[in-house]
Amino acid sequence: MYLYSLTLQQATGILCAINGSFSGGKSQEIVVARGKVLDLLRPDDNGKLQSLLSVEIFGTIRSLSQFRLTGAQKDYIVVGSDSGRIVILEYNKEKNTFDKIHQETFGKSGCRRIVPGQYLAIDPKGRAVMIGACEKQKLVYVLNRDTAARLTISSPLEAHKSHTIVYSICGVDCGFDNPIFAAIELDYGEADQDPTGQAANEAQKHLTFYELDLGLNHVSRKWSEQVDNGANLLVTVPGGGDGPSGVLVCAENFVIYKNQGHPDVRAVIPRREDLPAERGVLIVSAAMHKQKSMFFFLLQTEYGDIFKVMLDHDNDRVKELKIKYFDTIPVTSSLCVLKSGFLFAASEFGNHALYQFQAIGDDPDVEASSDTLMETEEGFQPVFFQPRKLKNLVRIDQVESLMPMMDMKVINLFEEETPQIFSLCGRGPRSSLRILRPGLAISEMAVSQLPGVPSAVWTVKKNVNDEFDAYIVVSFANATLVLSIGETVEEVSDSGFLDTTNSLAVSLIGDDSLMQVHPSGIRHIREDGRVNEWRTPGKRTIVKVGSNRLQVVIALSGGELIYFEVDMTGQLMEVEKHEMSGDVACLDIAPVPEGRRRSRFLAVGSYDNTIRILSLDPDDCMQILSLQSVSSSPESLLFLEVQASVGGEDGADHPASLFLNAGLQNGVLFRTVVDMVTGQLSDARSRFLGLRAPKLFSIIVRGRRAMLCLSSRPWLGYIHQGHFLLTPLSYETLEYAASFSSDQCAEGVVAVAGDALRVFTIERLGETFNETAIPLRYTPRKFVVHPKRKLLVIIESDQGAFSAEEREAAKKECFEAAGMGENGNAEQMENGGDDEDNNDPLSDEQYGYPKAESGRWVSCIRVLDPRSTETTCLLELQDNEAAFSICTVNFHDKEYGTLLAVGTAKGLQFWPKRSFEAGYIHIYRFKEDGRVLELLHKTQVEGVPLALCQFQGRLLAGIGPVLRLYDLGKRRLLRKCENKLFPNTITSIHTYRDRIYVGDMQESFHYCKYRRDENQLYIFADDTVPRWLTASHHIDFDTMAGADKFGNVYFVRLPQDVSDEIEEDPTGGKIKWEHGKLNGAPNKVEEIVQYHIGDVVTCLHKASLIPGGGECIIYGTVMGSLGALLSFTSRDDVDFFSHLEMHMRQEHPPLCGRDHMAYRSSYFPVKDVIDGDLCEQFPTLPMDLQRKIADELDRTPGEILKKLEEIRNKII
Amino acid sequence: MSVFGGDSWAREAQCRKRRVDDLLVEGIDASAYKKLPNGKFTCLVCPHNPILDTPLSLSMHGKGSRHRAAESRRKERELWRQEELSKRLALSNCVTSTSSSNVSYQQCKRGGKPLIERTRKAASEIFSYEIIEQRNKCRKPDAESVISSCLYGQSIERKEGPVEMMVARKEVVVDQVQQLDYRERRERELQFTAAGWKRDCHGRWFKDENVEFDSDEEDPNVVLNDK
Repeated sequence: MYLYSLTLQQATGILCAINGSFSGGKSQEIVVARGKVLDLLRPDDNGKLQSLLSVEIFGTIRSLSQFRLTGAQKDYIVVGSDSGRIVILEYNKEKNTFDKIHQETFGKSGCRRIVPGQYLAIDPKGRAVMIGACEKQKLVYVLNRDTAARLTISSPLEAHKSHTIVYSICGVDCGFDNPIFAAIELDYGEADQDPTGQAANEAQKHLTFYELDLGLNHVSRKWSEQVDNGANLLVTVPGGGDGPSGVLVCAENFVIYKNQGHPDVRAVIPRREDLPAERGVLIVSAAMHKQKSMFFFLLQTEYGDIFKVMLDHDNDRVKELKIKYFDTIPVTSSLCVLKSGFLFAASEFGNHALYQFQAIGDDPDVEASSDTLMETEEGFQPVFFQPRKLKNLVRIDQVESLMPMMDMKVINLFEEETPQIFSLCGRGPRSSLRILRPGLAISEMAVSQLPGVPSAVWTVKKNVNDEFDAYIVVSFANATLVLSIGETVEEVSDSGFLDTTNSLAVSLIGDDSLMQVHPSGIRHIREDGRVNEWRTPGKRTIVKVGSNRLQVVIALSGGELIYFEVDMTGQLMEVEKHEMSGDVACLDIAPVPEGRRRSRFLAVGSYDNTIRILSLDPDDCMQILSLQSVSSSPESLLFLEVQASVGGEDGADHPASLFLNAGLQNGVLFRTVVDMVTGQLSDARSRFLGLRAPKLFSIIVRGRRAMLCLSSRPWLGYIHQGHFLLTPLSYETLEYAASFSSDQCAEGVVAVAGDALRVFTIERLGETFNETAIPLRYTPRKFVVHPKRKLLVIIESDQGAFSAEEREAAKKECFEAAGMGENGNAEQMENGGDDEDNNDPLSDEQYGYPKAESGRWVSCIRVLDPRSTETTCLLELQDNEAAFSICTVNFHDKEYGTLLAVGTAKGLQFWPKRSFEAGYIHIYRFKEDGRVLELLHKTQVEGVPLALCQFQGRLLAGIGPVLRLYDLGKRRLLRKCENKLFPNTITSIHTYRDRIYVGDMQESFHYCKYRRDENQLYIFADDTVPRWLTASHHIDFDTMAGADKFGNVYFVRLPQDVSDEIEEDPTGGKIKWEHGKLNGAPNKVEEIVQYHIGDVVTCLHKASLIPGGGECIIYGTVMGSLGALLSFTSRDDVDFFSHLEMHMRQEHPPLCGRDHMAYRSSYFPVKDVIDGDLCEQFPTLPMDLQRKIADELDRTPGEILKKLEEIRNKII
Repeated sequence: MSVFGGDSWAREAQCRKRRVDDLLVEGIDASAYKKLPNGKFTCLVCPHNPILDTPLSLSMHGKGSRHRAAESRRKERELWRQEELSKRLALSNCVTSTSSSNVSYQQCKRGGKPLIERTRKAASEIFSYEIIEQRNKCRKPDAESVISSCLYGQSIERKEGPVEMMVARKEVVVDQVQQLDYRERRERELQFTAAGWKRDCHGRWFKDENVEFDSDEEDPNVVLNDK
């Protein structure tokens, strides 16, 4: 089996983000690392975040940093990755790429504890960079520039210290003195040696300053001092005239200002009042904002509260450290304060947000200060605050993120053309069920009913220079309706259009006149209201029309073409007639090229399954230039001109080219390139779009020409980051469409469907899926689909939180207490101004759930109707119980029908040791058409049931290391059979016929068989590799697909002869008495596929995303990406793609210096999987390189692109 | 085995086992296996002659697909051989008839290759002997073949044909009913084993001590014996 791996949706979570001016000048950009993808984002003028560039680097990005050489206008990006190399990138604005400036190797590849890459620190003046490992090694590179002002990098200087763990590093701003780097370190040398553990208890963290002596070219430990053992983060404090220099040490509950030769200035981090005393407060992300006259820090705690930290200083002496509550936003992994007044919050989980600063919290009152620090015998006095609504920030945009994806299934519950992807995403109060559909999202602006069923719609401007359209013209079977666009859209009768007949085409012709083509003639309406009418000769009628701004061709019944041109005076003049051999099916004229009087090409489709290109030049007018035969008669034709582009906003440079698109009767879109000079057609591609013949329309998307294809669903063909993409729209079937532009909606589409007129815009171009989110209460764990009723049953659970009722009560109490504290007594509170706040409780999505003790669990079981997005039943589990597994089960010969089994654990704790009070299996029955659950009974078991599955009319449960078969009893489940020979913990169970495929938490798959005549479960095969299983899926009788927690996907298969032997065991003695070696099973499965995804796969599902397409394995990852593994059907394809991959590996090594093959083989050598993501980078190569690779493959670059497109179209 | 029950049944069981073994062995064609001096059996049908420990395993082996394949191959070979034999016999007759007319040629031929001729003769003798034996075997009529022929709807060439046939048919019907009943019973038994019941050596059912049962669960001792 050979597989083609393709990422369908890039990771949406963000691990770190930096901001700066990467394209130079005043613009502000954000670079984000999404695991293995580097993205460049920029907030546009409307405050929407636009993704400018997205590059997969085939490596793990562990840290990012930006620096700027003194006096330069542009920031560089330093990337710390698992490549064992430091890489400096520069954003190339012209080509829209990241250029690798430097790549220096210093160690082995992989995420190792002593190979640097985990931490990066930059000298604030951009003179040096330090790259550190988790332990021991730190390297300093000196950055400089040569005579040609190019960036140079020195050889590395070592700042190693063995037996130290590093927690954080940062650069210290000391002006133009020697660069200094600070690090929080812990020396474990003694603790390692001391067997009593005393030294380990006494181990102490230190803050160490490393000085780079630029003169001696040497790094030395300059200063080291004890810090709190809770210290976790360092923040640079401006220095060198702008501030006091030094660092802020963020520790548990404290922020401490430290500098060499300066006493500590310490302030306590304010706590939320409802926080349990056992919990500390840690800072998780920080940002510094510096202006000419002032600077401040924004520090976010692990609960989401942002504090503004200000230093009151007098030159180098810090007098006071003040902490002021700023606002509360969801917990972030990085905060970026942009100079343009935005705050980009890269959320740890869930959607990212862009905020605008309304204020910077200038009020003088502060929550905590170093001056008011109170020390008692129990330690420092805590300071409390009350979170409030956003005051200083206002959210203006959010970027959707699926991170973390907990479970996913691909099912067609809505009976649409393509299946939907149901995914459980998010964590805690921000969790959601997201329904993903392949296709672009649209937002509907207006829907209005029309008096009849319209057949066509057009929009026209009054003048070629107008920005917006003037009329919407709707044609019915025997009438035409004209609507004028203004503040409102209303019917007009003074437009000059003939309204007693249907129309075939309406357009702007010349500079300022309108043309209406109807079956019996052409009506030309001049700007001053004069009307010229051209009538058809005899009884012949016009059947088809093609026009551009200056040319019109009509086809009469019988197959005669008449060609008109607009002359200098604006008159429409007949130029030429031409008799075709038969009726004309469709026609189109290419748009008039820039600076020309006419376009040269007319395309005519005939019912004899051909498309002809005719010349419109006066010299050879109506001569056939080329002829293309197609598989079915064409229904609609469209010339699409792609303007020449050299980089710019959307990337790759390409010469101008003209494409002819044809929608064929059999539902296929046929696309060829038209030679701009000779009119020859070449490089034909076709793609099936739907059951109806596609009708093609030209519209405007992001200021460029794009193509709208209306088949059984609408599709959009457009150019995104240099690639032509053809994607479906998530919208209903449309009949006819036209582009639409008004002052409310600059780039819209007006379309007719049924008897309604619809106006919509297309959103978030470049994305593969659009999503509908349904909020959930707690972190979702798993879900099942009720097979008949099409309902989803979701289990959710969270640790360290209060249940809904407790939360309500606590919230009320908390507000009351706060009111008391502020106002002295309750009466006053009632009259006071705080009432509004009290009545409007803070949303949990924003502020997070109040924290409970870590041993507390809350959990619920929810039945959800995905159609109405309505929760029909929600059962909150009581008594500290949490649900972990779920399945539907039909017990044989029992009267209840489908039942729901839920595995729960009571009082589960992971620290200091994994323990729990009890495990249960709940059995629920569905009532009221499956909409409501009723508990039937609850059976106590001796472990946590992490896996449940139906098997032969009974219930299989994985309880710790025991696989057990249960039957339904009256009061409880009845244990019927068990096997205790599993090594660790069973996490997944799949069944097929009498085989059971059990996934163990640490030991991959075990194949079992149930013998009915003996009532025994036998393990007959297992895996040789200890895999830490995170996801599994059953492929066929002998094959399982699994994913491990190191980011690998693999397939195992039982060899055919072994499988036959197992199945053919007439005495049954063999399976019973056969023993493996070393407690293993007697047979071993073979690994047939192995691939490193680079992200923890949490769910696998087998499905086909296109109607009638082959099935592929779809996976979802923690970082919120979706991918597919498609198996090749022909050997030729395998050869082709493996060669292409090989050439790509050689010619286009990954951006951050990791070797592609080594990356895909990070844990196990890659086997029989071709990396489609690498192959798809082929179009981004320079043209000569593309040609070189194509030559070696005996193909043209066009053919390679076609092949890539084909295989992509097989998946989605 | 369970300690439930308490009767001393070991000897009885042993005897029964021996009897079952004998019965099992009886059912197998003697030419298909060979009893080895160490008491084990070897299958003569399968080309690799597997050694089987007990008559039970021998009988189970006889039901395995490989054995069956080998058996059918052997039968096929036998059939082919028989065909070949009859062909050659016919041929040899033909040869003798022609030989009289063309003696000189025959003699010259015989005189030329005496060894070949002898071999051929010996072979033909062996073949014909075997075929006679087989024919004798085949001629023995037995009830089974009657029933089977009945089943396939072939008429029987006997005087009291119709009556006999009626009887045979009845037998078949009864047999089928019994078989159906047996299958049903077997299914019931399997259900009970799957539900956690076990049988002691007397065929009585008892509850597996590791399995849980509902309070009102059917007792196979009652249910199955009633039938």
